[in-house]
Amino acid sequence: MTTDLILTFLIFGLPLIGFPFVIGIGYIKKNYSMYLGTTLILISFLLAIYIFFTNTVNGTVIQYSFNWLPSLPAIIPLGIYADNLSMIMALMVSFVGFLIILFSVGYMRDDPNRHIFFGEMVLFTSSMLGLVLASSLIMLFIFWELVGLCSYLLIGFWYHKPNAASAAKKAFIVTRVGDVFFIAGIGAAILYSSGQALSVTGLGSIHLVWQKTIVSLLLFGGAIGKSAQFPLHVWIPDAMEGPTTVSALIHAATMVTAGVYLIARTYTLFTPTSLSVVLYIGIFTIILSGLIGIVVNDIKRILAYSTISQIGYMIAALGLGLGATSIGLSIYQLESHAFFKALLFLTAGSILHAILNVRDINKMGGLWRKMPITITAMFIGVLALSGFPYTAGFFSKDSIISASFNVSLIAWILLATGGFLTALYSFRMFFKVALGKPKSNAAEHAHESGWLMLIPILVLAVFSLIFGVFQGGFYSFLGAKVSGLTSLDAVPVVLMFAGMGIAYYAYGRESSIPTRIAKGSGALYTLVKNKFYIDVFYTNVIAERAVLGFSFLMDGFERRVLDGLVNLFGNLFENSGTTLRKIQTGLARQYAAIILIGLILALILLRVLMLAGVIH
Amino acid sequence: MFPISYLLLLLVIYIAISVAARGKIAKYITILFSLTVFAFVVSNNMTISNFNYGSFSILTLQFQLNFVSSVLLLLISFIGIFIPLRFKSKPGFFVLLQFLLFSLVGLFTTRDFIIFYIFWEMVLIPTFFVIGLWGGAKKDYAAMKFFIYTHIGSVFMLLGIFTMYFTEGAKTFAMNSLIAGMSSIPVSYQAFILFGFLFAFLIKMPSVPLHSWLPDAYVQAPSEGTVFISSLLSKMGAFGLLVIFVPIFLQSSFDGNIVIPVILIILGIFSLIYSALVAMYQKDMKRMMSYTSIGHMSFVTLAVGGFLFLNGTNALDSQLLYYGAVFQLISHGVIIAMIFSLVDTMENATGTRNIASLGGLARQLPGLSFLILASFLASVAIPGFSGFVGEISILLGSFAVLKYYLIFVLVGVVLTASYHMLALQKTIFGPYNELLGKITARRSDLFSSIFPLTVILLIGIYPALIFHFFNIHALSLFGVMP
Repeated sequence: MTTDLILTFLIFGLPLIGFPFVIGIGYIKKNYSMYLGTTLILISFLLAIYIFFTNTVNGTVIQYSFNWLPSLPAIIPLGIYADNLSMIMALMVSFVGFLIILFSVGYMRDDPNRHIFFGEMVLFTSSMLGLVLASSLIMLFIFWELVGLCSYLLIGFWYHKPNAASAAKKAFIVTRVGDVFFIAGIGAAILYSSGQALSVTGLGSIHLVWQKTIVSLLLFGGAIGKSAQFPLHVWIPDAMEGPTTVSALIHAATMVTAGVYLIARTYTLFTPTSLSVVLYIGIFTIILSGLIGIVVNDIKRILAYSTISQIGYMIAALGLGLGATSIGLSIYQLESHAFFKALLFLTAGSILHAILNVRDINKMGGLWRKMPITITAMFIGVLALSGFPYTAGFFSKDSIISASFNVSLIAWILLATGGFLTALYSFRMFFKVALGKPKSNAAEHAHESGWLMLIPILVLAVFSLIFGVFQGGFYSFLGAKVSGLTSLDAVPVVLMFAGMGIAYYAYGRESSIPTRIAKGSGALYTLVKNKFYIDVFYTNVIAERAVLGFSFLMDGFERRVLDGLVNLFGNLFENSGTTLRKIQTGLARQYAAIILIGLILALILLRVLMLAGVIH
Repeated sequence: MFPISYLLLLLVIYIAISVAARGKIAKYITILFSLTVFAFVVSNNMTISNFNYGSFSILTLQFQLNFVSSVLLLLISFIGIFIPLRFKSKPGFFVLLQFLLFSLVGLFTTRDFIIFYIFWEMVLIPTFFVIGLWGGAKKDYAAMKFFIYTHIGSVFMLLGIFTMYFTEGAKTFAMNSLIAGMSSIPVSYQAFILFGFLFAFLIKMPSVPLHSWLPDAYVQAPSEGTVFISSLLSKMGAFGLLVIFVPIFLQSSFDGNIVIPVILIILGIFSLIYSALVAMYQKDMKRMMSYTSIGHMSFVTLAVGGFLFLNGTNALDSQLLYYGAVFQLISHGVIIAMIFSLVDTMENATGTRNIASLGGLARQLPGLSFLILASFLASVAIPGFSGFVGEISILLGSFAVLKYYLIFVLVGVVLTASYHMLALQKTIFGPYNELLGKITARRSDLFSSIFPLTVILLIGIYPALIFHFFNIHALSLFGVMP
């Protein structure tokens, strides 16, 4: 048991301790960082496999905790808690992390700061692994912040680009808004359970329903920020300014799903009230981001909106309130999404690598002939994303949609509509990229990427195709009970084909339909094209008008009013000193006159006071 | 056991040698001085150590090393090592620095009000001279403002002390007996005493709206002066609140009354939001960072207010607040010292502190940019850095006090993060400002900044190093804990 405990610790501990060395060794030779970083994550993955098959499969939960702040009666536990949910997440994170880091070896080969890049990637992966293996809310929060930090650093990795520096700042601040709710949630959990609920095993010690609702909604606030759900979804599309591998690892496969993991981990706290909030936030996000996804032209941003909407499915699955079944549905969607979305991002990265980072899909086209392997892999990814039968996305998403039928009809309709939107925007992107004629010089000279980049893509493609095989085992592993397919399940599939067909009809060939629709729908199109003005609202109204406006006012108040008052006092004494100094003439006659006048005035005053009856 | 009489004697000898030697040796004696203080703390850890040397007329020579003063003495020894390592100042500066550190050692350990007041005033003298002699363009104004502003606070404190002494009819100025006698005097006098102490401490903290001496003093002081003023002087107010004001309040008839705690909480929250908003608009990096100092210390005001508000009803959250506040003291002291020394390095390298004329420094000065980034991350309380431990403890603890009003604190936290990120984006990230030309940072400066960074990471990752000093019985000092 102790050996296993140490090995479990090393799953995240090894890369965590190792990341300074990854950066440090880069000062000897930059390529060494790439090799060391990849090796560390590979070892983590192997350790995760070992622990998974020796302990988790047998039902052993490895747990250990110690008091972070000893000599305080307040126990702030830190430690490891590796149950089925944690280990299945750890397996996925280390596996996808390894594949993406392997891809980065090819992708970042020529970057002058690649040693720092690999150091940060290793730190990120270890923090993410720490997050899923944490035994207490505090430790979860610590790693939660560290993954946020790595996200900030990696989005801004090409810091010399003004957009990247700005996007990094935006990501940090927006997720920080979510994080503070997380802090409040932990504070509430401490208050309502006298500190018991800090550890994940003690979450049940909050008993009253209203207390649970408060804690769960606050924690959900944190999840919204990290998992980019409405209204805090605005940072992910901008975060695409970072290297594509970063988007694949952090903003598709792992970090953005941390919020989903948090809800799954603290699921006992969620009451029907908070669950309905979770459900409808999820559904609203699916529809919202699906609509925006149809009109965006930047290939990475399309994938970003698709990520937001797919995470919406995970959140909605949790919001269905089916206990362990919800967790199973959601985590299965999480994992299959991690595979196909990482695949899509890596293929996008491979394309961008080939066509000199032109990200506008209107400037691509005809790439299927130029880079057949990459585009075929992308096709698999798009099929999986839109839920084509018997791909990973089909099993994960359609199970959620069919499970929602028994909970709420509205939810079912909206979730199925979301599937239609998904098919529409993902095939729109694919057809524009792959079919037709090359629409730019760069696209004409595209070529296939090297094998180092293709291997991870192919592995992920295989997983996107066959991951459905594990569905039954996966659900039972997490204790989910899901009924088999029924005729209702045909509806999402039909909608998916409809979306695919429309996408081909409008975008797969030369056609004027999109422009005509755009003109015809007028205001609606403008609304969607401007992302429902949410970004504009945050940037122009909240950040620039409200916050900077207040800041301007306060600065003026500080300098004019406060300092003015202080200086006024100072000047008052100084001036009175200057004025009164003039009486000090040194002339005895003047002094005598002043004394006389003073005496007379004093006597008059005395007389007046006596007359008034104040003095007797 | 290392008695405090030996310590004070040794320190006086060090100062005498530094004055007599008149040369570079003063710098090295400062380090020795700090190591002695460090040795004193380490050899007296774990328990509250009392040192009693009888009395001298109305003065009692009682000293106490409790957990707050242990932590602050550690901070003193940190600053006393860091400044000589980092700055090449004149010997006179180091003599003044030693004098200041000596006063602070006395201030944080004495248990007699008059001696406390004397040390409190003694601190002003070296600070006044450092700003006035080596300061920037408006040094006279800043030094005078600083001196008069804090002096007004001390006058009210002195009046409070005398009120206590005369109304209680006490024989000596010993803190313990004067504080214990608080409840025996008329309520109106008690109110005046509480006001006097609070006024003095809040000016020193500083808390908005009593802070306007701070930006001028910080900006006009020479960098080494800014480092010790920001790191140590703000701790005087915090120490006063935590160790003097809290017991006085708990002994007074106002114990259980929520007006003063609520005022403290509101001042804390207001200072946090206000400092963040004002900081966001600053053009001068050093001025911006001086508001950071206000923001960090506002957590302490908030924590003390919350601690008094809970009044022992929630043991767990009370501890989080109180210990969080004490941890915040040392953490802020180290972080702000690092930030100001890095701003100084940056100014030396680029010739400007104006945020708008910087940009993309990461390309030319990767080492400096890394350190600035690290110190800013510490300042916004990222886990792993020491700022996190204090801030998270106070935030978690204050939920019990504030409930939904916690949202205001959270707004302040987000605003604080925002202006840090804004400053980072405009200085070290983004496109390089080619007007700066080819620049380099002094290597020795960067190396010496690794020292505070190490401390920040060390106590951030393993806060038990500091919490080691917090004895669980320490709070029984105030009679609110079992």
